[in-house]
Amino acid sequence: MREIMKIKFILVFAFLWMLNVKAQEAPNAEYQKKVLESTEVDILMSYYAQDGIHSSVAGGEGTEELTDFTSSIVISMPIKNNDVLTFDIGISAYTSASSSNINPFDRSGASGGGDDDDDDKRAIEKPLDEGGANPWYASSGASMSDVLVHGSVSYSHSSEDRNTIVSGNLGFSTEYDYFSIGIGGGITKLFNEKNTEVSLKGQVYLDEWQSIYPTELDSYLDGGLDNDFFDGVTIIGNPDYEPTNFELNTNEKRNSYSVSASFSQILTKSIQASLFFDVIIQEGLLSTPYHRIYFADKENSFIEQFQLADDNESLPTNRFKLPIGTRFNFYLNENFVLRTYYRYYYDDWGITAHTASVELPIKLGQKFTVTPMYRFYTQTEADYFAPKEVHVSTQKYYTSDYDLSAFDSNQYGIGLKYTDIFTKAKIWKFGLKNVELRYNHYTRSNYLDADIITLGIKFID
Amino acid sequence: MKTSIAILFLMIFSSCSTVKEYQKMNINDPDMVLSVQKIEKYETTFQTYREAAAGANGGKTGGGCGCN
Repeated sequence: MREIMKIKFILVFAFLWMLNVKAQEAPNAEYQKKVLESTEVDILMSYYAQDGIHSSVAGGEGTEELTDFTSSIVISMPIKNNDVLTFDIGISAYTSASSSNINPFDRSGASGGGDDDDDDKRAIEKPLDEGGANPWYASSGASMSDVLVHGSVSYSHSSEDRNTIVSGNLGFSTEYDYFSIGIGGGITKLFNEKNTEVSLKGQVYLDEWQSIYPTELDSYLDGGLDNDFFDGVTIIGNPDYEPTNFELNTNEKRNSYSVSASFSQILTKSIQASLFFDVIIQEGLLSTPYHRIYFADKENSFIEQFQLADDNESLPTNRFKLPIGTRFNFYLNENFVLRTYYRYYYDDWGITAHTASVELPIKLGQKFTVTPMYRFYTQTEADYFAPKEVHVSTQKYYTSDYDLSAFDSNQYGIGLKYTDIFTKAKIWKFGLKNVELRYNHYTRSNYLDADIITLGIKFID
Repeated sequence: MKTSIAILFLMIFSSCSTVKEYQKMNINDPDMVLSVQKIEKYETTFQTYREAAAGANGGKTGGGCGCN
């Protein structure tokens, strides 16, 4: 009897304990906070302008003037409680004096649309005082401008406890002579009461060129100096122009594979840090088909003031890159946050680089943030780089692209952000969350300067 | 040198105590995010085009020619 009473007491106690547990669990079971509370729409726009003196299209000497206007819209939508679907669509339109000189003799302005008429390629002589072909000025050919369109879709799923996030993405970008498809996926795990985050991602880009070559090179390949391109023009300097090194690309694919790992840690209530580590392998056509090369051991030939190319750029078909980066962010007080970043980079083309940047967001009240920023970058030159007329024709690989030369760069700028946590201003059903405007000036030690203005507007449903 | 840096990182990352959810008000400030911010997207793109180094910043690591 006493045993039965004891069992009844245990059962009643267990029942009450279970009820108590259920009562405690119930709110969590009924209300699971969404990963993303509502649809977010980000509109981004940027205007970029650069100028320099080392055009790689003109073999390392010539104008690098370029302007680019880009806009994109990013829409992130919650799917049930745990998933987020994101679309990113954008368009970029550029004009480039450097690219225009793929055919520096084209003054027709009628070669747009990508047709292959011989008329577009024929060298049209003009007296020098009327502005003959010159690497320091743009021609009016089709390659002076282009439009890049890009789009991507990504999906992420978070576990109920929000400690595991699995994601995948698919994207593309296309321009006149280049097409790229990207596919990737990743997993993120959070530990230690979400103080520690470890992430692993894989990404593959399958790209393809539709090679465009310096006009004199592919014209010469098709009939030598008897090609229509050279018909009736005077070749100054060495009249027996003979770019014998040049040949068409047989492989126009460029594939990039990357594995990215990151480790983030909250160090204190006001400091957090992360470590990034990428392994990137590229293979295929890694040179740019319309970058000219002028050899030291070839006599110079000109049409008007434009020197005819001895060959186009030649680079290895493999590249291994290893960047390692770290961020430390400090919440100094309610007015100041300090964001820092450092990256070391190595690749097997002989380039090592260091990047360091610092940002100091300053909160002016609840609505405005001003952010001064500075970034320093330095790199060594690639094994295959040399300035104009330093390479010799017996080398296997050569480039005069100053993006692969040794240089330092400094970038400094300022950002202004307006935030309205109550999203009072409405467009249709979306409330304005924030508006951010950033300006940066970039200057490179090898005489390239650039400016970029970016505007970002965020709406939430 | 590299070993010293690795040991330093291990010491930094292992010496911290757990910060509770209710103590993360500063950490959750929007300016404290460790990833690349959306507004930085196009700045990162032009840097990738104009410099040889790319990656290790939580952003894009490849794709596109970047040749203009």
